[in-house]
Amino acid sequence: MGLTEEATDAEVVRAVLAGDAERYAVLVRRYRDRYARYAARMLGSIDAAEDAVQDAFVRAFEQLAQCRDPDKFAGWLFLILRNRCFAEQRRRRREGRSLEPGDEAVASPDRPDGAVVQADRTGALERALERLTREQREVFVLKHVEGLSYEEIAQLTGATVASLKMRMHRAYDRLRELLKEHA
Amino acid sequence: MSEPFHPLVKRLLDGELSLSELPPELVAQGAEALRLLGAVDRAPVSLPAALEARVMVEVRRRARSRLRRAWRWFVEPLDVEVRLRVRPWAVWGGALAAAAALAFLLARPTASPDGARSVEAAARDSVSVRFVLFAPSAKHVSVAGTFNQWDRDAAPLMRAGASGVWTLTLTLPVGQHQYAFVVDGERWVADPAAPGVDDGFGRQNSVVAVIAQGARTL
Amino acid sequence: MRGAFVAVALLAGVALRLAAQEDVATRLDRRVPPAVVREVEELASSAVARGLPVEPLIQKAIEGGAKGVPAERVIAAVRALAARLEAAAGALRSSGIESPAADVIEGGAYALGAGLSADEVAELARSSHEPHDPGLTLRVAATLAALGVPPKTTLELVRDMIRAGRAPNDILSLPAQVQAGMARGATPAQAAQGLGRAAAHRPPGRPPDRIPPGQAKPKPHKP
Repeated sequence: MGLTEEATDAEVVRAVLAGDAERYAVLVRRYRDRYARYAARMLGSIDAAEDAVQDAFVRAFEQLAQCRDPDKFAGWLFLILRNRCFAEQRRRRREGRSLEPGDEAVASPDRPDGAVVQADRTGALERALERLTREQREVFVLKHVEGLSYEEIAQLTGATVASLKMRMHRAYDRLRELLKEHA
Repeated sequence: MSEPFHPLVKRLLDGELSLSELPPELVAQGAEALRLLGAVDRAPVSLPAALEARVMVEVRRRARSRLRRAWRWFVEPLDVEVRLRVRPWAVWGGALAAAAALAFLLARPTASPDGARSVEAAARDSVSVRFVLFAPSAKHVSVAGTFNQWDRDAAPLMRAGASGVWTLTLTLPVGQHQYAFVVDGERWVADPAAPGVDDGFGRQNSVVAVIAQGARTL
Repeated sequence: MRGAFVAVALLAGVALRLAAQEDVATRLDRRVPPAVVREVEELASSAVARGLPVEPLIQKAIEGGAKGVPAERVIAAVRALAARLEAAAGALRSSGIESPAADVIEGGAYALGAGLSADEVAELARSSHEPHDPGLTLRVAATLAALGVPPKTTLELVRDMIRAGRAPNDILSLPAQVQAGMARGATPAQAAQGLGRAAAHRPPGRPPDRIPPGQAKPKPHKP
């Protein structure tokens, strides 16, 4: 029985669990870029996103037996990636790499934040996003970058729609404030 | 300091209203808000193809050591296996069968873990176990333990409505397992409802005893 | 019959020694600091040479790494575990079990760590004739002792259950039942002794009224 690229996620997962580890590559190819943008926006650079996505795939393989519903591999992989992003953000906070509130200009070219320097594009808004709380940043990215509805975000993250809207609205105000400072 | 956006403008940003539906005095603010959103970088991100190769290197490594571990499990507790399943008068038959099965494994070094797992499955069923934690102010809860290499990202719990209760159902092999909850990614919390054992690091792990299906539970 | 198993065990031993080294580095890579990896590699070689299991050492190191425990503390814990594994193997061998299985040695190590003596470990293993798995029996004993049941009472309870012909599942249920007794106000010792008496009087195969079989075991936490 040959597993082609058209095999469903569940079929590939079952094949891998039965011992055919090489088939896992199908899932990696399939989902490599799907959450790359989310990770890049959460961590501020493509390099950091690459590390996080790679790590998430490896962990997902290690825990494949725990993926209760092989059909939901994609969502489960997302949760692992999400936690990985949070872990990375925590690590940066511990090492003092993120900005303190009240720092000067949001977009300062010689700021010593190695992670962000790489993906320097729209600049000001990206910097401002980094200054949001993790929850605010995530809901903003999921809605306005990934285009999910509040209901979809609620399903994905386990938060209620009401609390998501509250976070988002605070994020809007905070962004306005941060970008006004810059201007 | 700047003024917060008007609630109607926030709804505009949420996509629930259009600019033309705003009252005239809010149109300017609405346009400013939309410009803010317009600066969002939505460009799709493509990761290097090399990522797949790097992932598969790690995957192969783990698959190899998993094979060896499955092999070890099959090989070492053979005597236990016989004791569990074989009556005294069938000892010869059992021993021969076990030796034959092992010879089969040895002759085929690329034997899939399936062979070992079928023996494992015969000896140990897997059972659904529900983990529950009441943590209303937590933002994230996961469970980590001997069954998932203490990976605090591998088994996130989901909120059960707004009650403050978090749950997750996992399938675990029969036997005893140690675990703990991880709250907000950092706080390791023993299960208040389960027996605790010293983890050797000054904390407590919780213990869950998984019983074969069909047996009575407490 | 024994010959077949001995031959098999020898073959397995060679494969194990080769596998152990690569395993440690692979499994611990990026999960624990390099100092811990080196220490565990050394302990693993030594363990394999002495016929002791390596997996518990790796698991303990992974646990420490996952919990963010400082390297020195992880090393200390893994060393302590290695010592207990050795002590457990010694106790088991001197009790007449010539080649104790890895699982049983590990169970013995937990039991020693929970406060049971080497003699009690040996006695528990000896009592665990088929269909009982001594590795499981020892782990349950360790959990009972961790709950606060005195070691002697633990030993008696488990032995009585086995003698009364109870199934391995019933042994596995003991910690939860002792906990339930404690929730009703009994001390761990009292709860355990009550269970021992009940085991002696009830014929096997007739469990008390409980949740019907087949249901997942709920673990509710009351606020």
